[in-house]
Amino acid sequence: MAQSVERSFTVAGSIDEALAARLQGAVVLAGGTWLLRDPLRGVELPEAVVAVHRIPSLSEVIVEADRIVIGAGVTHEALGKALRGIAGFEAVVCAAESAANPGIRRVATIGGNLCSIDFPAADLAPALLACGAAVELETTSGPKRIDIPSLLNDRPGLLDQSILTKILLRRDLIASAHIRLPLRKAGDYPVAIVSLALDQDRRCRIAVGSVEPVARRWTVLEQAFAAEPGGFPRVPERAEALASEHNDFDGRDGTEADGWYRRQVLPVLIKRGVAALLESEGLA
Amino acid sequence: MTVTFRLNGEDYRFRDDPMTPLIDILRQERFLTGTKAVCREGFCGACTVHVDGDAVPSCLKPVGLLEGCEVVTIEGLSAGNQVLHPLQAAFEAADAVQCGMCFPGMVMSLLAFMRDNPDASRDDIKAAMVGNICRCTGYERIVDTVADCLAQQRQTAKVAGGADV
Repeated sequence: MAQSVERSFTVAGSIDEALAARLQGAVVLAGGTWLLRDPLRGVELPEAVVAVHRIPSLSEVIVEADRIVIGAGVTHEALGKALRGIAGFEAVVCAAESAANPGIRRVATIGGNLCSIDFPAADLAPALLACGAAVELETTSGPKRIDIPSLLNDRPGLLDQSILTKILLRRDLIASAHIRLPLRKAGDYPVAIVSLALDQDRRCRIAVGSVEPVARRWTVLEQAFAAEPGGFPRVPERAEALASEHNDFDGRDGTEADGWYRRQVLPVLIKRGVAALLESEGLA
Repeated sequence: MTVTFRLNGEDYRFRDDPMTPLIDILRQERFLTGTKAVCREGFCGACTVHVDGDAVPSCLKPVGLLEGCEVVTIEGLSAGNQVLHPLQAAFEAADAVQCGMCFPGMVMSLLAFMRDNPDASRDDIKAAMVGNICRCTGYERIVDTVADCLAQQRQTAKVAGGADV
């Protein structure tokens, strides 16, 4: 057990207080499920920590007619419960309810999932990319709203000077799906993750996680889908063929799988994802 | 930093590094060694305890987050010289325990699950055990026992509610 470590530990009661501590170099602690594993990765725990679990607004999920606002401190379990049954957000619910294991899901937060820079297998990242989410950061000059790709691609720079407070989802989706491939049936980091979402104009957004170091949209495949009759492939095997043809991923090597394998499984996951979308009401 | 919380029904005050994982306090400070430290990264579930009623891995819970919380470990269910908790007794009667390493965590996870899911199916029980790994692979007998206990609970509730009268 660590003995008598001189560590600054602030329990923030407000976002302003958390931001002030962050600006002085404190690392944000939400659920702790990633940070507490630092010693196992050979990384020392931070000297200064600001805990955000006592900030009430960070634990809220607000469902409005045209949008959903999710506090960054909402746990996976709470997120799955809050969005279950809301049409269009099947991918987010599946990501929240299938990541890691039940014990972790009761503790790990959506904000932690998005802000853990060195965690490429985060389930919520591709799901939120596919669903077109935006995020709100609290900065010294007030709230700043950006899209998820901007956050994921510049986390070190952005999170150095701000705190992630909200995730925002527009309610313009008719269906979404989240397909993950762990080596075991559950309780494992996925080798690859594919999320798809279809909006009211039948435009399909596709995102991939765990294959490259940072989750990203599969824009060339989205364009190929859009060129299909009706703007979307109606046969899963056709979607699989398009995914094989437009596979522009450079898989990362890791302990669970080699990079080539992560890349190779993507067309099959796309096929499963399109099949899941087609099974949704009104699409078959 | 000082952190005060309830541990198995008693006040407990910890004064040291707030990033100390709860499991280290349980085992090394309080000698509550029923909670097992195995993987230390939230995969195995052997360190599962209840924090404010939720079954969570104590290896990933920094004590600094526990101010004012209610923590219950396997020892909090029944002291060694007392009658076992009904779920523990059911596992013993069914001879479901093998080496025992996973079992405190298994009991803590399943106890909270049974409380929250009285109508759970066999698949639901299996899904609830995803984060509790048994290297003896004795899962089926555990699932059988939980399913039997849930069925008994439902029967008891039915009788108490007068449905069979």
